[in-house]
Amino acid sequence: METVKIDIHPKEIIRRNEEKKNKFNFVKAIFLDIFLVFYSILVLHRIFYYRFVLDLRDIPFSWTQILVVLIISIAAGTAWTFTRTSLSCKLFGIAKNNKVTKWTVELFAWFLFDITFIAGWVVTKVSIVDIFSPEGIRGANRIFGAMFNPEFGIFDDALSAIIETIYLALIATLISIPPTFILSFFTARNLMKDTLLAKSIYYVLRVILNFIRSIEPLIWAIIFSVWVGIGPYAGMIALLIHTIASNAKLYSEAIEGIEEGPIEAIAATGANKVQIVWYAVVPQIILPFLSFTIYRWDINVRMATIIGLVGGGGIGTMLMQYQGLARWHEVGLIILMIAIVVWVMDYISAKIREAIY
Amino acid sequence: MLLKVENLNKVYKSGVHALKGVNFEVRQGEFLVVIGLSGSGKSTLLRCINRLLEPTSGHIYFNGKDISHVKGEELRRVHQQIAMVFQQFNLIKRRSVLKNVIAGRLASIGTLDSLLGKFTSDIYDDARESLRIVGIEDKADERADSLSGGQQQRVAIARSLMQKPQLLLADEPVASLDPATSNSVMQYFERINKEFGTTVICNLHFLSLVRRYATRVIALRDGLIIYEGSPNEINEEWFRTIYGEEAEEVEIR
Repeated sequence: METVKIDIHPKEIIRRNEEKKNKFNFVKAIFLDIFLVFYSILVLHRIFYYRFVLDLRDIPFSWTQILVVLIISIAAGTAWTFTRTSLSCKLFGIAKNNKVTKWTVELFAWFLFDITFIAGWVVTKVSIVDIFSPEGIRGANRIFGAMFNPEFGIFDDALSAIIETIYLALIATLISIPPTFILSFFTARNLMKDTLLAKSIYYVLRVILNFIRSIEPLIWAIIFSVWVGIGPYAGMIALLIHTIASNAKLYSEAIEGIEEGPIEAIAATGANKVQIVWYAVVPQIILPFLSFTIYRWDINVRMATIIGLVGGGGIGTMLMQYQGLARWHEVGLIILMIAIVVWVMDYISAKIREAIY
Repeated sequence: MLLKVENLNKVYKSGVHALKGVNFEVRQGEFLVVIGLSGSGKSTLLRCINRLLEPTSGHIYFNGKDISHVKGEELRRVHQQIAMVFQQFNLIKRRSVLKNVIAGRLASIGTLDSLLGKFTSDIYDDARESLRIVGIEDKADERADSLSGGQQQRVAIARSLMQKPQLLLADEPVASLDPATSNSVMQYFERINKEFGTTVICNLHFLSLVRRYATRVIALRDGLIIYEGSPNEINEEWFRTIYGEEAEEVEIR
């Protein structure tokens, strides 16, 4: 039997760990300081100088300018980290004799919040004038008036379209369950922390799923309407992919939140990894999984109507057609039906989820 | 010698030095009780012995074999031979009592059979026998979380019996129970120790329980053993050394 020999004194291990942590934190502090300087200069320069001082309506974009700001902030930020006034050193708690007080940190936080808010206001082109223009209000009035007088002539078509939408959402949700279930175990940190291989799988899967989730189902629907042709099938695949990615995250978070005790207890009986998951993890997460999935069906019905707008089939496609023809009475009926179905789905899913717990 | 712990050190990633060179031996059939304040390293010690934790340095010899750094299949065999009962019972709440007890036997059931829930009649018989030993065979089909605290801990003991362990560890098994229930649960440990000759190592808080059940006591303070001997030799002075100057013994019977 081979045993691992550990010759260094435990105190030495503690000291080394501490040192390693401090070094790592110092690097992080440098990056944070650089970022703070970069962000402040960039926002002040672009928003305040161009917009308020020079009063330009459109802010010009230039890579050279950004590069210059970046170089300045790398120099200034790095230098800042080495002084005793470094904000990041204070935040990471690594600087000795740091002069930064709690008050300074708060002041700087307020400064960052304020310039961000003002920048957001400018970028969004918020305008009080536009929302109260008489011409605009007249147009809105016309559409609202038509929509509150729905045209019931297309009721039969709309009904079959909305049934298509509900089934599309249901199938996407049902098919998503097995792959999501399996994926969630591989993306739960508490189950994947033991070996390097497990950690790598965890990170790779997380990155892929985050990527998939960050692309809206709307975009997926555009891709799949080209791939498999316009219609409910494309919409279903789009929803399916997004559902897997989103629910895998929710499921794995549920797994990360379970009691560790039963896992420890089952591990202590000599059970293997699969048995530990099946006996100590699964019983704890079955109900949250079910609840998330039902809620997701509800979300998918709402999303399915939107996806229809880009050729994903169902009621959304119909809505887009009538909207394109500016036939607001028909649009009114479709919106009314969507609202009723969404409301009913919301109610049913809430009731089912209540009953489960 | 069933268990020999040699210069055991455990440093957590957080930098906490929980065990600072612990040495002791345990003979077959002993009922060893570990006492000490919260944070003195009692739990860490038990978790190192059954290798839920890997010690930082030092050695643990179980049946003469060094198990301090075993891995994989060998580690699972160590888990199987050294059973553990926890303060929080750690049952699977939504499953039946019987299923919880059967879980103690997982190590000798194939993965596929355990996924499908296919157990031989021997296993069912053993599970019911274990429940009979702790006196709750009539609760076999109830959900684990419908039982009282004392009953849940007895289910946990039955689960550990399914492992047919050579060594039974108990980490403050009665700390979340009331005094009357505590005593009745402790009696099951005593019975297992006396009738089956299973060696028991148990973390306890109440000295009245320690004096009643322990054949030998070790006391930990700041990760070091400061007392080792008979439970009856712990006098007022030792008590203050172990639990600090402020301590005063409370009597709970």
